[in-house]
Amino acid sequence: MPNNRLAHRRPVTSALRIAAPALLLLQLLGSMTARGETPNFQRDVAPILQQHCLRCHNPSKASGGLDLSTTKSALAGGESGQVIVPGRPDDSLLIAYVTGEKPEMPKESPPLAKAAVDALRHWIAEGAAWPEGLVLTERRAIDGNWWSLVPPAKVDVPRLDSPWIRTPVDAFILAELKAHDLAPAPEADRRTLIRRLTYDLHGLPPGPQEIDAYLADTRDDAYEQLVDRLLASPRYGERWGRHWLDVVHFGESHGYDKDKPRPNAWPYRDYVIRSFNLDIPYDVFAVQQVAGDVLFPADPWATVATGFIAAGPWDFVGHVELREGTVDKDIARSNDRDDMVANTMSTFTSLTVHCARCHDHKFDPISQADYYALQAVFAGVDRADRPYELDPRLAQLRSQLAAERSQCTARLSALRQQMAKIEAPEIAAVDYRLKELAAELTSLPQSEDAAPRRKEIERQTASAREARQKLIEARASQSLRADLAAAERQLQSVDDRIAKLPKPTMVYAGANRFDPQGTFSAAATPRPIYLLARGDVRNRGPLVEPSAPRCVQGPDPQLHVDDSNIEGQRRAALARWLADPRNALVRRSIVNRVWQYHFGAGIVDTPNDFGRMGSAPSHPALLEWLAQWFAAGGHSLKKLHKLLLTSAVYRQSSKSDAHGTQIDSSNRLLWRMNRQRLDAECIHDAILAVSGKLDLTMGGPSVQQFFFKDDHSPVYDYARYDVDDPRGWRRSVYRFLVRSVPDPFMECLDCADPSIMTPKRNATLTSIQALALLNNPFVVRQAELFAERLRAISSEASGQIEAAYRLALARNPTDEERRALADYVARHGLENLCRLIFNSNEFVFID
Amino acid sequence: MNRPDKFTADAIHARPNRRDFLWRLGGGLGGIALVQLLAESGSLAPASAAEPRAVRPLDHPAKAKRVVQFFMSGAASQCDLFDYKPELIKRNGQPWDPGEKVELFQSTPGACMASPWAWKQYGECGHWMSDLVPHLATCVDDIAFIHSMVSKSNVHGPATFMQNTGFVLPGFPSMGAWISYGLGSMTDELPTFVVLPDARGFPPNGPGNWSAGFLPATHQGTLIRPSAPNPIADLFPPPSARYLTADSQRDGRRLLKQLNEQHLAGRDDDSRLDARIASYELAARLQLSAPEVLDIANETEATRRMYGLDQELTQDFGRNCLIARRLLERGVRFVQVWSGADNGFPRRNWDSHEDLARDHAVMGQSMDQPAAALIKDLKARGMLDDTIVIWTTEFGRMPCSQGSKGRDHNPFAFTSWLAGGGIRGGASYGQSDEWSYKAVVNPTYCYDLHATVLHLLGLDHQRLTFRHNGIDRRLTDVHGSVIREILA
Repeated sequence: MPNNRLAHRRPVTSALRIAAPALLLLQLLGSMTARGETPNFQRDVAPILQQHCLRCHNPSKASGGLDLSTTKSALAGGESGQVIVPGRPDDSLLIAYVTGEKPEMPKESPPLAKAAVDALRHWIAEGAAWPEGLVLTERRAIDGNWWSLVPPAKVDVPRLDSPWIRTPVDAFILAELKAHDLAPAPEADRRTLIRRLTYDLHGLPPGPQEIDAYLADTRDDAYEQLVDRLLASPRYGERWGRHWLDVVHFGESHGYDKDKPRPNAWPYRDYVIRSFNLDIPYDVFAVQQVAGDVLFPADPWATVATGFIAAGPWDFVGHVELREGTVDKDIARSNDRDDMVANTMSTFTSLTVHCARCHDHKFDPISQADYYALQAVFAGVDRADRPYELDPRLAQLRSQLAAERSQCTARLSALRQQMAKIEAPEIAAVDYRLKELAAELTSLPQSEDAAPRRKEIERQTASAREARQKLIEARASQSLRADLAAAERQLQSVDDRIAKLPKPTMVYAGANRFDPQGTFSAAATPRPIYLLARGDVRNRGPLVEPSAPRCVQGPDPQLHVDDSNIEGQRRAALARWLADPRNALVRRSIVNRVWQYHFGAGIVDTPNDFGRMGSAPSHPALLEWLAQWFAAGGHSLKKLHKLLLTSAVYRQSSKSDAHGTQIDSSNRLLWRMNRQRLDAECIHDAILAVSGKLDLTMGGPSVQQFFFKDDHSPVYDYARYDVDDPRGWRRSVYRFLVRSVPDPFMECLDCADPSIMTPKRNATLTSIQALALLNNPFVVRQAELFAERLRAISSEASGQIEAAYRLALARNPTDEERRALADYVARHGLENLCRLIFNSNEFVFID
Repeated sequence: MNRPDKFTADAIHARPNRRDFLWRLGGGLGGIALVQLLAESGSLAPASAAEPRAVRPLDHPAKAKRVVQFFMSGAASQCDLFDYKPELIKRNGQPWDPGEKVELFQSTPGACMASPWAWKQYGECGHWMSDLVPHLATCVDDIAFIHSMVSKSNVHGPATFMQNTGFVLPGFPSMGAWISYGLGSMTDELPTFVVLPDARGFPPNGPGNWSAGFLPATHQGTLIRPSAPNPIADLFPPPSARYLTADSQRDGRRLLKQLNEQHLAGRDDDSRLDARIASYELAARLQLSAPEVLDIANETEATRRMYGLDQELTQDFGRNCLIARRLLERGVRFVQVWSGADNGFPRRNWDSHEDLARDHAVMGQSMDQPAAALIKDLKARGMLDDTIVIWTTEFGRMPCSQGSKGRDHNPFAFTSWLAGGGIRGGASYGQSDEWSYKAVVNPTYCYDLHATVLHLLGLDHQRLTFRHNGIDRRLTDVHGSVIREILA
């Protein structure tokens, strides 16, 4: 397989940045072969039989008397005799049929690849094991050479001689436009551009001073300077972090019944915003979210990053209340892992592996074995609060005290063991009594009638234990008792010092050490994962080990987990696979997402599905070029933004024309810019920005813009929130995201539903939405505050109207508008006008 | 009427000026013609239209065009309502042994527990009904029972999702949203899919139960809370906003339209901008029609009595049922009426773990008369012929006792029923075993029920799909077949 050129060009430092073990593993890759391993029938052999043999050698057709669907029928052989002789590949007809100069099988098809023959041979040599009861059915061979799965190929920037071209991106676009007899739209005017850019990068309107400054900037690179300024602002991370939170379905309550809040989910949101603002390289960003706690243990933010794993919903009743060992408990856990798998793979690879939960993927080369191998990656991780420490001194102190504490407990337990060795008839008698009590307790029925007796037994047990302790102490030597007392004091002193530290900060994240709650407790080692026939937890197939999807060409799907018993090692291995320089899919996925948010539609318009059921790329070469350019430039999102934003394509006017509409009405080829409806957050934040009330405080616990009452099923009531509470005037990325009861105002504006991954927002226009913008108490109140602001700017209606337009619409009103608005203000007051502007099409659409 | 009707005392009438204001507001409606023009000329594309239009023609002729769904939150007991088991009465108090290990949600199985209510046969079909539902008992010849319902979960949250959306996970569109997506709206005056929650609060999962999931938000259930001060969120401005008068709003609508039309210049190929202008006209219509549909002052006293508005126990659910009828009359496609809120204490839904006789009595009596009234009322108005009535719950309850007086969850057998358009009244489909513990004849998941409802509405459940994250999603997942046995 020709390797990724860029992989070779890529600086070694980027692999080092991932973590040293990754580098070691990469070096090891070539030396491993399938030979050393026990053959995995389902992974390595069954697909060959299913794709190449079962079409004829199935129970109903049984060509040549041979049926390869079950172990029994396969071993029975056909008319020519035994085709599989376990342990003896050279005596097996199966191998003879598929090898030689002109192999006889498979009929009317190209011969099997050498790797396939080797796999068959190896499997037979090792005994031809076939899992009990496994029945194979034919599987259509799905061509693995799908555009998104193949390694990168060299892409040349189209050579076009046009003054329109500002960046290589433009050359790709222009080439397609020319091929379709289209021409790009003229460049948009400066007011349109600054408004477009500011909403795009900040999710906020540009201020009048910013507009004036840009209009007055005569430098050649005024536009580029503007882009740089916007990218450098922390507002950028808030806007683009919110896009990311859509993709990963981040929410702050569990969902389902008993939708409890997650008070410690917000640090992950801050991590995301911070990472965008710091321009953390995307491969590192990806690795941190899947296994930052394991790969960067010294970096507290990397632990916070694993809030990604916990972002989705969680079935409280299923995890906390259902009894261990029940079917529903298994279902709850399987659903939970499914969410982690789907979130990881959809987000980073745009693959729909979750389609292979009940059966092999119907359209893409992803088998059920591939899917459950990914469940195995997350087999030991749950969603829970875990500590992190941003203050390095405190972190050091904590780990020092933890070390001291473990020394103390070790000493203490040694001393207690000495104590335990003390024997005496009296002690033996107490032990006998304790055993009796324990036996009686287990034999008691679970009924209410038995409750008094149960209590009595528990009381007697406690007092017997106390008596036993006293007996032992009376028989211990003076020095032993003194040592024990000293060790206990020492432990107490360490514990006192620990208690005096500030409480550790917590993040709701992927965790495998946490305080048990009900029947919810951490898995000591990863839970066993079985291939489930039809996805049914009661229908267990063979055990599955972690691996990555084989269909992605380039990186090794064998994850080579360092120690499979350690949960985190599994995630770390998958994280390394995602960041593998040979994994082109991950980069294709992210550049397409970035493109989509800038242009309103992705090059692939199904950003979470790069498979056969997804849409085809409108500009495949451009996507490939962007992915390679992105990797070569060190995975910098800010560089990518700048490349796209400074292109001539992006600067086009959104105005339509008849010729373009006739040829490409959906504007897939980008002969103009797409007009976009502002999303829920932009509308909310823009109203605050325009009214002058926007509070730009960053980070910290989310703002609960609702009345909350904790109950069996907690109550969240948005109607009872005071719209004059200034905490609600922060950016909406900081609002508390409840799953079961979404904020109705934001919901009707199509905000993301945190129960599902939202790679792309809807942009509906409904009467309910119109009513919300007209009458929601937030809007109605902000209109009053906007009016107050205008009165402070000018005492004249004309000045107020002009300021209103400049603030809200980034332009001056026309004379006609001035007259109509002044008339309205004269009759009904400024507040009414302000409310009207918030409702105008011009306010919610960006040219 | 001896006591003041609670509804007439609620917000709309409590503030006399309000009603006046609403009606005067109608004076400014100048733009209806535009909406009609847009709608009739088809220039409102489905995806961006203000009110949903059907995505495609019907798959086959429809038997019904509207649906009303009763949802009993908390799990209503089939063996205390509709599923008659003489064996259970005979063995009352005896140890229960179904011959296998029984895995229950909260408890270990107790003794056989006969229903605290007596049973009688009703109607020409002779269906057995318990004394808890004497009014529904008089409707049995219009009802087709499915006694063999089963669920994939015995936990309220996932199971409630399943009955609503076909999936045990959050994030999927509910049946009402699918039907809105498949059939579109019959009126521009009211939403297509309306939800009337229990007056005591939301069921488990909250509004997630009537979410549009990945379908466009326009298909989500619109919440109407008839007894709340603001029955539809943001229908009118908050009273605190004194600057908003009827005149300022009328003139404002006119000016907004003018500004938006000027904004269209040079952008007139963008149908979204037109659709948004139209959405404001529709909003104004909703402001007129919603108070009207919620105002039951003109209903006769006989009607009010029939729905139980004169009794404390039945008035809340009764009012919702009556409003459901008014919504259906005015072209709402799908109305969901909830009986029961969340699973808290004291019990406010059907989740009778502790004391079934006490708690099911309250829920049953509050539901029985109003639900029967709606069936009879629809029938009297000739609407039952093309309205499907569905009665369902997330799962059933065990035939054995929990803690001597309650019943634990039973996902292995429960009863749902349908009536109305295209349904064969008096039919019974499927059977549970002699205990009402397990479905033994024709075990039926919600998929089949959903497929049947879609079928009656002229939709093939396998063809009503929406592509999301790589999968052509259906209400029925990859399952479901129409239950022909209950079709007329």
